[in-house]
Amino acid sequence: MSTPPSKGNTLAAYFGYAELGDSPAEQKLQDMKRRKTKRRLWTLGGLVFTFALFYSSLRIIEFNLAELVGQLDQFQEALAAYFPPTTYFGVPFVDLGAYWSFIMEENLILAIEGGQIVWGATFVTMSVAFAGTVLGLPLALFFGVMSSERVIPYPFNFLFRGTMSLIRAIPGLVWFLILIPLAGVTPFTGALAIMVDTTGYLGRLFTDELEEIEDGPIEGIRSTGASSSQIVTFGMLSQVFRQFIAWIAFDLEHNVRAAIGLGIIGAGGLGLELYIQRQTFNYTEMMACIILIFLLAASVELASQRVRSALREDDTVERSGVIESLATAPKKIIASTMGRR
Amino acid sequence: MSTLKVENVSKYYGDVTALEDISFEIEDEFVVLLGRSGAGKSTLLRCVNGLTGPTEGAIYLNDEEVTGSRADIGMIFQQHNLVEGVSAYLNSLTGSLSRVSMLRSALQWQSHEDKLRALEALETVGLLEEGHQKVAQMSGGQQQRVGIARALVQDPQLLLADEPVASLDPSSAETVMQYLRKAAMEHDVTALVSLHQVNVAAHFGDRFIGLRDGQKLFDVGRGELTPGLIDDLYGSVETVSLATQASTKGNGVAANGQDDEAEPTDVEQEIEA
Repeated sequence: MSTPPSKGNTLAAYFGYAELGDSPAEQKLQDMKRRKTKRRLWTLGGLVFTFALFYSSLRIIEFNLAELVGQLDQFQEALAAYFPPTTYFGVPFVDLGAYWSFIMEENLILAIEGGQIVWGATFVTMSVAFAGTVLGLPLALFFGVMSSERVIPYPFNFLFRGTMSLIRAIPGLVWFLILIPLAGVTPFTGALAIMVDTTGYLGRLFTDELEEIEDGPIEGIRSTGASSSQIVTFGMLSQVFRQFIAWIAFDLEHNVRAAIGLGIIGAGGLGLELYIQRQTFNYTEMMACIILIFLLAASVELASQRVRSALREDDTVERSGVIESLATAPKKIIASTMGRR
Repeated sequence: MSTLKVENVSKYYGDVTALEDISFEIEDEFVVLLGRSGAGKSTLLRCVNGLTGPTEGAIYLNDEEVTGSRADIGMIFQQHNLVEGVSAYLNSLTGSLSRVSMLRSALQWQSHEDKLRALEALETVGLLEEGHQKVAQMSGGQQQRVGIARALVQDPQLLLADEPVASLDPSSAETVMQYLRKAAMEHDVTALVSLHQVNVAAHFGDRFIGLRDGQKLFDVGRGELTPGLIDDLYGSVETVSLATQASTKGNGVAANGQDDEAEPTDVEQEIEA
């Protein structure tokens, strides 16, 4: 239709900078090519910038491929120590006995000495989580209820809401560090950190649940001449009782994972044991700790999910299987430790 | 024995007039409030209950001004307003909340009398056997009867009901109304009930107060509720029928002079047909 473009014009036309085309459609085509050219230039610029950042980051961390290669032997040794090989009936397999003997020797689960039960690291971790959850529960309930607009009128409920936001802004790990002067680098401080964390998180979950209650029962209780605390208890909390129990189970699950993370920085239990073994390069023992951590986190998660789905008959709670719980445990432990859910 | 006195009550929501200068006095009667949706029935009941205060005027129960929710006024709501997750018994027991401390009520340490009263109230509404069941598992009619039981446990001087049978089928509605009337009789209390169903109202009421656009249109006794009054209240709605009652038919036209005679007889013929 239009005049065939000359050679020099072809390139300009490809990038959309040629002055050709009489029909509106052809002009639009050129316009669109021009836009595409601009987009490509931006992409190219972005790639160059990203690469420059990547390169300087590698310089800063002193990335060294040669060192990796040089260390491969050592890592292989470590792997062999993580998973000590042995044979069962002639079939090569990981030496589970090595893990078990360490677990028993260090009393990581529990032992009975002289008729008395000596609780091991697993139970220390569990206790940090459980004690922290129970200690935080009344505070969470208080803050959760007081944050509800139906209990405390609008501007004032934000005092409580704000406090919980502040608590949540600081991860449990940092709360542990903050509280160390109070009770030292101990499981006790770990439980206190979890108590604070629970106040912020569980309280928020309670508040959210209270947003969804119906006005009818509240008015019904009010009409009986009940006092205001009775209206809150019977009109509001009775509507969400089961949901609250379900959230508590969920929070306990989260807190067990957080307690493992807190252990690594000093709150005792399995986390601490893992850290000690790493410092002494006892890889087999390290892996024994990690296996126990997986088992603990996964079994608490399974139990909590069963409780929750039993409580919320109509509600669908995600149910995961044993394998899935184990597989997602590491990710969840880290997320919980960092204060994310 | 109780007397409810409503004196020149008006209620405004911003520019909207919900009630305008309503006055009446009732003593130990079963009074039905009639009127279209939005006529002010619910607002009036909420004012009488103390859930909201009137803008002008005052409400007295036994010469004592009503200023807030109180135990001696029992309220039955259209949507039941029960706590659905717990048993009928516990819902009935919440009627005694004003008589116990927060701690005792939270631990369910009500007195033996209160617990018995809660069960007796359930017996009055015919639900003693079902007392342990969760309210959520009950039918609409049963739930409403639990609502009546809760109001009875308050040991009220005055029973209020806001369209208690609006969401029920005719048979359940009649059952609920029978129990409501029985409860009012047994406990010898004044009752003020708003209703939509004119025939149900005519069947159960001793006295009828009609509200239209926030104003009192009529206040008549059992024999005086005529089709003409109903027409005034709802406009000419063909499906509104007034149940035939010997007493109503006889003096209906006579009691109500301002209407032309054609309309009421028209309606009455319809009813009889």
